Amino acid sequence: MIEPPRYPGYDVLAKRNTPSWDAVTRRVIDERLATPSTPRFFTRKEWLTADALCRRIVPQPGEIDPVSLVALLDAKLFANHGAGFRDADMPYMQDAWRKALAAIDRDARAQKNDRGFSDLSEEDQDALLSAMQHGKISGDRWAGINAKTFFERRILVDVPPLYYGHPKAWNEIGFGGPASPRGYVRLDGDRPDPWEAIEASPGDEDKADRENRRVV
Amino acid sequence: MSSDPFSEPRAKDGRAPDVFRLGSWVSMREYRQTDEVDFAIVGTGAGGGTLAALLAEQGFSVVAFDAGPYFRPLEDFASDETEQNKLYWNDARIVDGPNPIQMGGKNSGKSVGGSTVHYAMVSLRFRPDWFKARTSLGYGADWPISWQEMWHYYGEAERQIKISGPLTYPWGPKRPSYPYRAHELNDAGKLLARGCESIGIQWTETPLATLSAPHAGPEGKSPPCAYRGFCRFGCTTNAKRSALTVWIPRALAAGAEIRDLAMVGRIETGPGGRATGVHYHREGGWHFQRAKNVVVAGYAVETPRLLLASANQEFPDGLANSSGLVGKNLMTQSNQAYWGRMEQPVRWYKGPPSLAITEHWNYDDNKDFHGGYCWMGQGPLPNEWAAVQTGSRGLWGEKLRNAMLDYNHMIGVKMVGEMLPNEKNRVTLAEDVDQYGLRVAKITYAWGENDKALIKHAIEQMGRSIDAIGARDMFAQEDDTNHLGGTARMGDDRRTSVVNADCRSWDIPNLWVCDGSVFPTVGGVNPALTIQTIAVRTADRIRKLSAAGEL
Amino acid sequence: MARTLHQHRRPLLRPAVGGPPARLGGLQKERPTAIIIAARRLNRAAGIIAISVLFDSAMEHYRGNFHNKAMWTPIVTSLSSIAVSAHGLADGRHRAHPVRDAVYVAAGFVGLVGTGFHIYNVTKKVGGFNWQNLFYSAPLGAPAAMSLSGLMGFLAERVRDNHPEGEPRVFGLPAGRVVAAATGLSLLGTTAEAGFLHFRGAFHNPAMLLPVSMPPVAAGLLAKAAIGRAGASRTPSKAWLAATAVMGVAGVALHAYGVSRGMGGWRNWRQNAFAGPPLPAPPAFTGLTLAGLAALALLREYAHD
Repeated sequence: MIEPPRYPGYDVLAKRNTPSWDAVTRRVIDERLATPSTPRFFTRKEWLTADALCRRIVPQPGEIDPVSLVALLDAKLFANHGAGFRDADMPYMQDAWRKALAAIDRDARAQKNDRGFSDLSEEDQDALLSAMQHGKISGDRWAGINAKTFFERRILVDVPPLYYGHPKAWNEIGFGGPASPRGYVRLDGDRPDPWEAIEASPGDEDKADRENRRVV
Repeated sequence: MSSDPFSEPRAKDGRAPDVFRLGSWVSMREYRQTDEVDFAIVGTGAGGGTLAALLAEQGFSVVAFDAGPYFRPLEDFASDETEQNKLYWNDARIVDGPNPIQMGGKNSGKSVGGSTVHYAMVSLRFRPDWFKARTSLGYGADWPISWQEMWHYYGEAERQIKISGPLTYPWGPKRPSYPYRAHELNDAGKLLARGCESIGIQWTETPLATLSAPHAGPEGKSPPCAYRGFCRFGCTTNAKRSALTVWIPRALAAGAEIRDLAMVGRIETGPGGRATGVHYHREGGWHFQRAKNVVVAGYAVETPRLLLASANQEFPDGLANSSGLVGKNLMTQSNQAYWGRMEQPVRWYKGPPSLAITEHWNYDDNKDFHGGYCWMGQGPLPNEWAAVQTGSRGLWGEKLRNAMLDYNHMIGVKMVGEMLPNEKNRVTLAEDVDQYGLRVAKITYAWGENDKALIKHAIEQMGRSIDAIGARDMFAQEDDTNHLGGTARMGDDRRTSVVNADCRSWDIPNLWVCDGSVFPTVGGVNPALTIQTIAVRTADRIRKLSAAGEL
Repeated sequence: MARTLHQHRRPLLRPAVGGPPARLGGLQKERPTAIIIAARRLNRAAGIIAISVLFDSAMEHYRGNFHNKAMWTPIVTSLSSIAVSAHGLADGRHRAHPVRDAVYVAAGFVGLVGTGFHIYNVTKKVGGFNWQNLFYSAPLGAPAAMSLSGLMGFLAERVRDNHPEGEPRVFGLPAGRVVAAATGLSLLGTTAEAGFLHFRGAFHNPAMLLPVSMPPVAAGLLAKAAIGRAGASRTPSKAWLAATAVMGVAGVALHAYGVSRGMGGWRNWRQNAFAGPPLPAPPAFTGLTLAGLAALALLREYAHD
């Protein structure tokens, strides 16, 4: 269970028309928030597997307005926006994802009565991902892909930034958010500028909520 | 509204972007491809950008190429980590070896201004003894330049870049005052200081290439740092003193031509074994620019890649490679860190990431390994921080989300550590080709025993300092590296080096290398200031050689 | 100096300027004596400096989040100083006022206590008394402005507290010389503070040299007046002090330009007005130079050969 909100009521988007945001940032974030939720890179099957995988890597259980990480992942792979380099025993990013998603699905079916990865229970999905992370997965189904390397160098590199590059995550962790032209005056941590997030003291979330709604 | 800097070149038709004024242009002299310009420079970063400015100011005709786009910081840079990945070299590369190096934003920029557009502005001088690492300290290789000479050029570079630094520096011989005062420390910096004092070592405000007060130069005005914290993702204020704001505008004003979105794929040689010009890809096709001299300044991966790819009948092993060392002795720097959580909020995202630093272990030789390291404060933005949580702690799922909630309370220090040269660590050409049809660079790396001993020592010392300030839930980040060097090393013997002290290749007298590739040793400090300083010296040497008719 | 003192034991042969109207009924309005004019100038100086202190300390202590309740004190004392200074400007009596005196003395005292707080603030930071903390923690010279305001006001009362028809004295010494000396020293102190912060700003603009060049010359001229020949010509000194007073006002405009040089300019005032050069600070020079002009007027008025 994700803990109670640390910065209740704080919304970086509320600063959208303040000097903390500039035109280029507004354009970029608007585009991100308008990412289409239909696949352009993934096949329908790949999308389902990727969706299930993203939900395990960065779960958003029962949250209102969850970020669709699979849509952002699809957009990233469609545009091929990665760091470009690959490990010697791996394909480049786009191919790596296609091959690995297929392998993950094959592994799931082999283990659990021909149920695809997206049909497994959350526990079973986590178990498979864990096995990948700890190097316990290999074999014919993974030809051409090192499962551990894929987990560490693709899944953990490509998926979490989809969440932590989204305003929802910035609100959650109390990040100051976009900051241009307005940066910061008070550089100390315990002395926030009026446009920074207020952290709730335990039990006093309402007070922080009221203060955060005035942050602009 | 500005055009897309990736879709078509901006520096053409007699003008280049004026980075200091919205939507504005400066006039740019252009040369015909058939003009034999004095210098064709490949790369416009810390080495190439600096040299382009200084050579143009001496009256040479200069065309500087960059594979990357010509950004306008005031308009193109968003306050967003993901978007700003566009600053990095994201083309195909292969990493290999027991300890493959992470490329991209750790060490590789792709734009006019090179990696200085995204670097953290830490501007440190080498320890003087390192210039004679082999004879004085017993490891690595000697530089063919004395520390005294470098000390003079360091001062020149610092003055021209306008470094903001402390009034007294705790280590090394005396240096002239920095042109601007050191920045105010944020909490991350203050906690580094407290940690150092608690374990009995000195610390200092980091000399940084970003302004602590307004600046008005002939090329334009900049405000001072606004402490927005997105330094490593492109400075939107132009307070950052990158090649894009310092050297390139000067180069343009002095008559140099910049060609953006121009990937140089091959250096041509001709009769007499001299370089005759460069083949470059721009606007959908390949072109050839004639030049009297070619300077390669693509940094430690692209420079050897280009030299090797330019192999021809006369030079079957690549250009300037009679020593066989082009691409070899690749060095990176260890970049481990120690992190912890404080009771009180720290909010490290405010301001440049590394406002305070300690170079104690660069100058204290009470160690049972060679080389040195420094460590500096940190201020990772959310994605950077998530990468630490996943990369070094392997966190994902609910554990990741819960750990990230402590973001505003985190503290950490990160090292820049010397790694020793080893010929097995190298850049070679793979069979894959990239979008230009050029063979992809393969980067092979393994840490040596000395590297590991240094890392172990550093992690322990950094841990002590984090512990001393009362941090909880501390953990070490054990696997990280950053800056590069070494793949076209300079020396005083053509059998054991690629270029001489003047950055001139032994084999081809009009082929030069002026970037971090020339470092024989990589030191325990961030390399950018030293690269720019070598360029300042090289420009001075070229002036003297030209006057003596020896060019 | 001793000769002059001796001279002043003889009653003045010339009547004091102004004073109660002779032989005309009570219908004519009282004209202020030179003493009252000087005293009021000093009240004005105290008030101007107090206005500077009010806004400067308010902004800087707001930046510090008023994290210590004591940070409200200079707001209170500067407001009080402004109030009593206004009162003094309207007061034509040759008598110190106990409330004004109390407020000015309190302001002077608060400035000293504030300096103590600021020293403590600097020394408790990591690194203690180093450049970083001197530059960026509580500025050591700032609370002194409150004391200077109090000093000017205190001198106003001491000057006022003299017989209208004698030469005014402050603690037994000629008032003009005392005020000149006090003002000269105050100008040097204020120069040091401005100079230190302009040094922090690397003197990036040549205009930043003004407050480290003009006021010291003014201070020198005042020192010369304080200890020099009684009948010396004051015109160059008056001119220079007046120019320095203008410099204090121009400083506000220059600081406003400095604020506009921050990223985002005045549109980003919530950052740049606080991180940039302090708008309320330069008028402290204006207040002090007006006090200096008062000193010169007293010296001229009561000069002997």
